[in-house]
Amino acid sequence: MGIATIVPAVSQRALCIPDLGPRKRDAALQLMLAHARASGALREADSVFDALLLRERLGSTGVGKGVAVPNARALAVLEGRWVLARSERGIDWNSPDGLPAHLVLLVLSAPETPMIAHVESVARAMTLTRLARARARLLEARGAEEMAAIVQQVMP
Amino acid sequence: MSALDRLVRLHDLDLLRQQVMDGAAASRLAALGFGTADPAPLARARQRLAGHVDARWLGIYERAHGRYGRGLAAVRGRVCQGCHITLPTAALPAPDSPKMCESCGRILCWR
Repeated sequence: MGIATIVPAVSQRALCIPDLGPRKRDAALQLMLAHARASGALREADSVFDALLLRERLGSTGVGKGVAVPNARALAVLEGRWVLARSERGIDWNSPDGLPAHLVLLVLSAPETPMIAHVESVARAMTLTRLARARARLLEARGAEEMAAIVQQVMP
Repeated sequence: MSALDRLVRLHDLDLLRQQVMDGAAASRLAALGFGTADPAPLARARQRLAGHVDARWLGIYERAHGRYGRGLAAVRGRVCQGCHITLPTAALPAPDSPKMCESCGRILCWR
């Protein structure tokens, strides 16, 4: 399976959480993983959470402009999944510009996914939030369905 | 934490380590705005984690990891996701303890 087939399939199954309750990074990640597990994308969430924390310890996945892109390739991931969550109050993600994350894009890949395909999945997920207009639309969307519709529109 | 839990974490750490140490992946992520990750803390974390894994299973893991790039494989519908062989019916699911795939030598995760 090539990158071209893996990545679009992932974007079509993106999960959207319009109001991420927790204001702490770790609690937010746990909630997003719970959604991913409920959707059948994970065997279990604990080891994936540990993989995400390990990644954060290497350097924040906050990329600035109110966006964070935590990501992991892990054994417990059954199928690649994006989880897009929005936090109105923002979450401190230790971003380089110091701004809290209002949009969190969790990118999960199955362990069989080639490493470069995982990296491309991260890159593709980031196209969702690269333009200020797209970020604004996602922040203003009225619910999960509207967010999912924007994901479908923005993804080339 | 069970022996299998530790092996799963070692496996995930190794996947991340491969990504951090791969020049093309690191450049691509840096271009996307991620900071450059230092592999040294990962190496230390790996050493700590490996120190808590039973020596026999660590040896099996390291051998498969060295050979295939991954020392663990999930089982789905009795199929080893490493070598895609259907496991014999005598191989009983063991969700909490490590078992080895008799075909490829990877450690199986039945969860």
